[in-house]
Amino acid sequence: MKKVYILLISLIASGTFISCEDQLDVENPNEPGLTSAQTESGVISLAQGAVYVNGFRDLKYYDGIPGYFWSGAVGFHELMGDVIGEEAANVFGNQIGAPDYIVLDNGTQVLNPNAPNKQKELIKQINLNSNAGSNTLFYEWAYMYSLNNSCNTVLETVEHVSFTGDAEAKKNTIKAWAYFWKGYAYSRIGSMYIAGLINDVSATTNANYVTKEQVIAEASSNFDEAAALLSGLAGNAGYTSTINSLIPAFNQIGHGGALSSDMWIRNINTMKARNILVNTTVQNMTAAQWQEVLELTNNGIKATDYVFTGRANESGDLLSASAGTVSAKTTGNPGQGTTYKISERLIQDFKPGDQRFANNFNQLANPWRGESSRGNAFNTRFELVDGGNGLDGVIILGSKTPGEYELFLAGSYEENELMKAEANIYLGNLEEGLKLIDAVRAYQGAGLAPVAATGLSMEAALEELRRERRIGLLFRGLSFYDARRWGVINDVSQGGGRTGAVVVSSAGQVNTNATINYNFAPYWDVPDNELVYNAPAAGSAPVKVDL
Amino acid sequence: MFRNYSINLNYSTIFINYSVVSVNCCFYFNKICYLIVNFIYYPIFVKISLPKPNSNYNKTKTNMMKNVLFSLLCVLMFISPTFAQQGKTITGTVTDQATGQGLPGVTVVVKGTSVGASTEVNGKYTINAPSDGATLVFSFIGYSNIERAIGGATTINVAMGVDAKQLGEVVITGVGVATDKRKVAISVESVSAKDLPQAPSASIDQALIGKIPGAQITSTSGSPGADVNILLRGINTINRGTGPMILVDGVQMGATNLSTIDLSTIDRVEVIQGAAAATIYGAQGANGVIQLFTKKGQRGKINVDFSSSVSANTYINEGGVRKAQYHAFATDANNNVIGTSGQPLVLDPATLTYSENVIYNPLDVTSQLNKAYDANLQYYDHYKSFFQTANTFNNSVGISGGGEKVDFAVTVSNNKQESNIRNNGNVSRTNLTSNVGIDLYKGLTLRSITQLAYTKNTIKFEDRDIMFSLNNARPFANFEQKDTDGDYGLYFGDAIGVNHWNPLYYGQYLNQDENKIDVIQNFNLNYKFPKFLEFDVRYGVNYQRREREFLIGNQINNNNATETQGWYSEYNSGAPTGEIINYSYNNVFQNFLPKATFITDFQEDFGLSVPLRTTTQVGFDWRSQTRSEYFTAGLGLPDFTPVTAAQASTYRILTDYTEPFVTYGYLVTQRFDYSDFVGISGGFRSDYSSAFGQGSKPFTFPRGDAYFRLSGLNFWETSKMGTIMPELKFRAAYGQAGIQPQPFDRYPTLSTRSLGSSTGFYLPSTQSNPDLSVEVSEEIEVGADMVFSLLKNTSWLNDVTLSATYWDRSTNNSIYNVDVAPSTGIGKLKNNAFSIGSHGFQASLTAALFNNNNFNWNFTTNFGKQTSMITSTSGQEIVVLSSAGSTNYVLRAGEKIGQLYGYISLHDVTARMPNGEYFIPEAQQEDYEVASNGYVVNKATKQPYFSANMYSFGDPNPDFNMSFVNDFTFKNFLNFSFQFDWVHGSHLYNQTKEWMYRDGIHSDYEKPITINGETGAWTAFYRGVYAQRQANGTKDYFYEDASFVRLRNVSLGIELNKIIDLPAFRKLQLVFTGRNLLTFTDYTGMDPEVSSGTNNSAFDRGTDHNTMPNYKAYQIGLNIGL
Repeated sequence: MKKVYILLISLIASGTFISCEDQLDVENPNEPGLTSAQTESGVISLAQGAVYVNGFRDLKYYDGIPGYFWSGAVGFHELMGDVIGEEAANVFGNQIGAPDYIVLDNGTQVLNPNAPNKQKELIKQINLNSNAGSNTLFYEWAYMYSLNNSCNTVLETVEHVSFTGDAEAKKNTIKAWAYFWKGYAYSRIGSMYIAGLINDVSATTNANYVTKEQVIAEASSNFDEAAALLSGLAGNAGYTSTINSLIPAFNQIGHGGALSSDMWIRNINTMKARNILVNTTVQNMTAAQWQEVLELTNNGIKATDYVFTGRANESGDLLSASAGTVSAKTTGNPGQGTTYKISERLIQDFKPGDQRFANNFNQLANPWRGESSRGNAFNTRFELVDGGNGLDGVIILGSKTPGEYELFLAGSYEENELMKAEANIYLGNLEEGLKLIDAVRAYQGAGLAPVAATGLSMEAALEELRRERRIGLLFRGLSFYDARRWGVINDVSQGGGRTGAVVVSSAGQVNTNATINYNFAPYWDVPDNELVYNAPAAGSAPVKVDL
Repeated sequence: MFRNYSINLNYSTIFINYSVVSVNCCFYFNKICYLIVNFIYYPIFVKISLPKPNSNYNKTKTNMMKNVLFSLLCVLMFISPTFAQQGKTITGTVTDQATGQGLPGVTVVVKGTSVGASTEVNGKYTINAPSDGATLVFSFIGYSNIERAIGGATTINVAMGVDAKQLGEVVITGVGVATDKRKVAISVESVSAKDLPQAPSASIDQALIGKIPGAQITSTSGSPGADVNILLRGINTINRGTGPMILVDGVQMGATNLSTIDLSTIDRVEVIQGAAAATIYGAQGANGVIQLFTKKGQRGKINVDFSSSVSANTYINEGGVRKAQYHAFATDANNNVIGTSGQPLVLDPATLTYSENVIYNPLDVTSQLNKAYDANLQYYDHYKSFFQTANTFNNSVGISGGGEKVDFAVTVSNNKQESNIRNNGNVSRTNLTSNVGIDLYKGLTLRSITQLAYTKNTIKFEDRDIMFSLNNARPFANFEQKDTDGDYGLYFGDAIGVNHWNPLYYGQYLNQDENKIDVIQNFNLNYKFPKFLEFDVRYGVNYQRREREFLIGNQINNNNATETQGWYSEYNSGAPTGEIINYSYNNVFQNFLPKATFITDFQEDFGLSVPLRTTTQVGFDWRSQTRSEYFTAGLGLPDFTPVTAAQASTYRILTDYTEPFVTYGYLVTQRFDYSDFVGISGGFRSDYSSAFGQGSKPFTFPRGDAYFRLSGLNFWETSKMGTIMPELKFRAAYGQAGIQPQPFDRYPTLSTRSLGSSTGFYLPSTQSNPDLSVEVSEEIEVGADMVFSLLKNTSWLNDVTLSATYWDRSTNNSIYNVDVAPSTGIGKLKNNAFSIGSHGFQASLTAALFNNNNFNWNFTTNFGKQTSMITSTSGQEIVVLSSAGSTNYVLRAGEKIGQLYGYISLHDVTARMPNGEYFIPEAQQEDYEVASNGYVVNKATKQPYFSANMYSFGDPNPDFNMSFVNDFTFKNFLNFSFQFDWVHGSHLYNQTKEWMYRDGIHSDYEKPITINGETGAWTAFYRGVYAQRQANGTKDYFYEDASFVRLRNVSLGIELNKIIDLPAFRKLQLVFTGRNLLTFTDYTGMDPEVSSGTNNSAFDRGTDHNTMPNYKAYQIGLNIGL
């Protein structure tokens, strides 16, 4: 019998053997720990993921109709810039760009059919924490602060890394990368929201909201920090290998590539010029500001420079080929399920004979007509062609083939030249400005007759510039900024709106002399999701726009 | 066969046709060698008598092992040692009065002495009697004691009857020691197999619906193999849902779903619902425990049972959901629906697309839904085309029985259930269950319980996705039409509605094949010392492997895909070239539970006059789980068939994930029972876990309970009260139990993402928290149990049992991913974020309403009422998202869990907001009126008014739920029973309807309304309901009362062998069963019982978003017993 006891006791005792406390120290075997980033390859991985994943992909809220940053958050800009229209109501996509009213050729006023029927009321009504992922105002803020935080983490981590070879150069390259993207994040925040936060420590925040102007100043100071680090790196092998690792191979095509430190500095100058241009209305731009834009763009991106681009690969690591960009979500027959529909107002901004139109747009047999209870301006007769119509040397504006469409993440040569052109025109160098417009058109294969030396008036030159910014910078996230600084989004009573507009009515009739009163909010309130969990401290700048 | 071996073998008659794979362990004592031999399907315990080993013990053992192994390839042996009895003896047999069969385990004691014995398997006993003048006392739990004077007899046979006064039976769950229910101080519900209906799904979870008082068990989807939602007592956690712990014969089943368990193998189910009862389960007990007991074989006879049934299942559409038969599109003079070209819409037969959209101005105040589909467009009844009557087949064979020292039960069964969606596959589940018990030695028993389940699932596409596709298609789509190449189209153009897809396209290009194997193996070794002490060791391993292959064919040649640039893909976003995705899941759960129980009886054991009994339990509990997932995708397939992932142009490993988890703890409880009328117990459980914050700190959960049994007092039995109420007990219990954080909740890590040829690290938007605590739930329950015998000496109301329990509980540190200000760069942080409180009341009444030789009528009603609310949060409100759609929930202190927030409609133009202001400013009120359907509408636009702010709609959870079961038996051969379930006060957000309002698809659009004196089917009103304030926003218009009464089960059984003399049959029963045949509800969706939230979600329980409704089933079955 004793053996029975021995058996039972040993069985029970075995319990104590199998359960020592070491067992409890279960690590997560699936994902790298935070210290994994503290190696040379680790910090490069972190710096890559910081931008391409934290910056543009991974947020707590997601809705597949707008999609991630480059189709969703940027899509809201393009909707408000009247480059595209949308029928789907996800994240209020159909409402964020719906004008207050349209007066058709016959004088009929078509109100925004939604409720509320004014965009300014809408953005106040939907900015609620409980709206979670349905709050249109949430996304750009959250993506950009996610980018800022991950860059802060990179800056903190890189101090713990021992590099091989030219350690200082490699470290400075990574730091420049982080400061550049922090500058980029602040640029977007300061260009969209009434106030922001300056935050240089990872995973934490403060409640001292500052004005959008202060946020833009912070963007500049980060850009300057990056430029200062880069200025000593020209031709450095450590720099070259690091930048080559930071930019994913699938982006190193076309205008994308491992830019030299000089190219990068020029990219920075273009971004700094953008920050001045897009945040001041044309009426309020001073000669000094135009001069500053001119100087920056003179030292900005050149035609042969690499810039920051994004491409889709088959598995959609950064961008999905069929849905990852505003362009992809616009490409195809608007009646066959494309999220975004090309705007008639964009089409009317093409000059006759523009090969970019011929290469990229087809007219439908019958207009696509969205449901009239969802919008008043989104009907269209055109479709953006997938992969272009095959015209040689002409830019392709839409493609769902992996890798074919080139997305510009920050500045581009065309943007730099058009800012330079605009500065020149406003500073009185009309012809110089027009030449630059011609250069951009030639660069994109527009096939248009030059406008330089044709004796255009200032007004006509500005119209050429307006059209070219609309067409030449299509889908680069600038259309709303332009509409704002040109006053297009203002109420008709304040000189805003658009006259002579092409509008396809809900019955399918084409109006060519319609008036559109957009009346959009120029800047957005700080999202409520931020305010609920980080209430403004005393002395903060106003966090809500007075509309 | 044993030619070379000089071992003395006796073997019994069981022949096992499996090959031996290995010998797991071997031990030797008392002339007997014990082997655990692992056969292909399950291990079996074998013992062999040997000569006493010599000094060269190891060598002998090794030789013996080799030899025996060889010998055992085919034959299994059991040898029974004999035990000599000495002295003057009395022998006899104790039988069950009802069945006449021997009762094992009956205690036989010489009255007033400590001399005792217990009956063997066949009911036989032998006892030494000191004198003829003594009396023998026979006692057995659940039966009335019998005393017999010995007199001159040497043989005393007794037949024991069931104690009429008992509350039922013996329970184990929550108590740890088999305890007479009359002396249990906690609320334990138990249901035996005979009371479980033969649900067509043949799964235990479906059968439990309505059977457990207090529990909310709901069948939330009619998809084959769908799990039920289980909410026992209150919502205690948000992080881990409401699912209780499932035990099978004392061991946790941590990897297998309850719906996998074959109903026919379950003997009994016990349920404890709250922390007060579940403290002995420690850090995993807070959601309550459902314990299943597997059927055992009856020793002494062999039974063979066959059962077979087939059912026809039709989907329920109680609300009469259908699509509008009329439309409001622009038409020409011939009623052709036209596009903007002015020409009638035409479907291109080559591409299956409409070239133009319809012209539809739903907000136009003159637009009415009153045009027939009688010209170029036709009305198709999509439900008729896509739903079918599905069949379910059930077959099972069971053999059970046993010898003197062994009992066994083996059942093989198969359940096959088709989808109610046409051509959408089926789920087939095959179970093999065995339960073998062996008496190894006097007092030492070994039991091995094995359940193997193989489930094959060929459901092509989620029923819910198909429902969504269909419900968002305008009815003029002819999905059956094939293009000129013979292919189906996916998307017919915006004219059909932008959210439609053709399920037949999925049918053409998708194939799913899922194979799942579940193994649940429990071993239990139990040794009862003659007195005081019992050792019990249990070890269980539960293994699940699930392999799912999802094949999306190459669609490049599909004209519709080419035309619309739309195709089906999961990961291949670049081209319609298809993909093969393999999902592999592994889950291994182990549970090891040694336990010692020490029981004393002061009178019997120590001869003291104090009628005190003590029970001490010390236990240890170790659990370990390893889950892993490995997903791969082969993108870009060739267009020939068959294809394999090897032919894909890109191959990608999508997921490679392993999740280890370990927890262990120990338990100490002490219980005292004084006489038959009072008992008290207390103790604690202390647990360690790999998931707790800071790793090694244990959490300790205390408990205590007490009962006072008035009917156990001497005066009671003879009093008048005692005759009317033979049983009355009051009880109270307090306890804490926990809910563990998820395994990695406390480990901050980086995430990785492929970026082409490199890998990026990124910071996950939800951050882990190293400081997390276990969620601790604390509960007090008080209750009473009573039995009435109302009309003595008649056939009426002789046994009426009422049990009632009130409970109150709170969870103080519930974990949730709480929003963090986005400027930190973090999305959410896991935190012990808020406190939840809940309370409720449950009761059950069972009554033998009428009982005589020819006719029995038993009635049971169960009642449960509970409510849960957030008592505090760590800071600001917590916003949670429903998986069901665009419906948000908000968790705020002082509010009920699971409330929906949204815009409210008005029924009075002068209604005021909570702050006293008018919803509609006074100056604008003249623009509004109450329309004929009761909603406040704008007279000019005909659109309804919705509030500018969002308000709570209230608690969607039911006010109470009840069930009523009637069971009639006539002359032993006819049985008729039915069960009604009543869920009252539950609400559903009819998201399905809201989506159908989007494109004017729902039949409500046909209903005329009078607005401003004009009557018509105004589309502006219905469209306004959808679009006002927020398109597809959450509106009280769609928040509906989903109370229902359902005829859950009706069954008629005829035992043919009792009508006709068929001696070959022990049982020959024909059973007609109906399930869900009748539903009474005001809910306008298909089925008020569904929920689209995640299974067992704590908060997401109130939305119906295109969920597959339950089905009505008509089943015929044949049960044969030999």
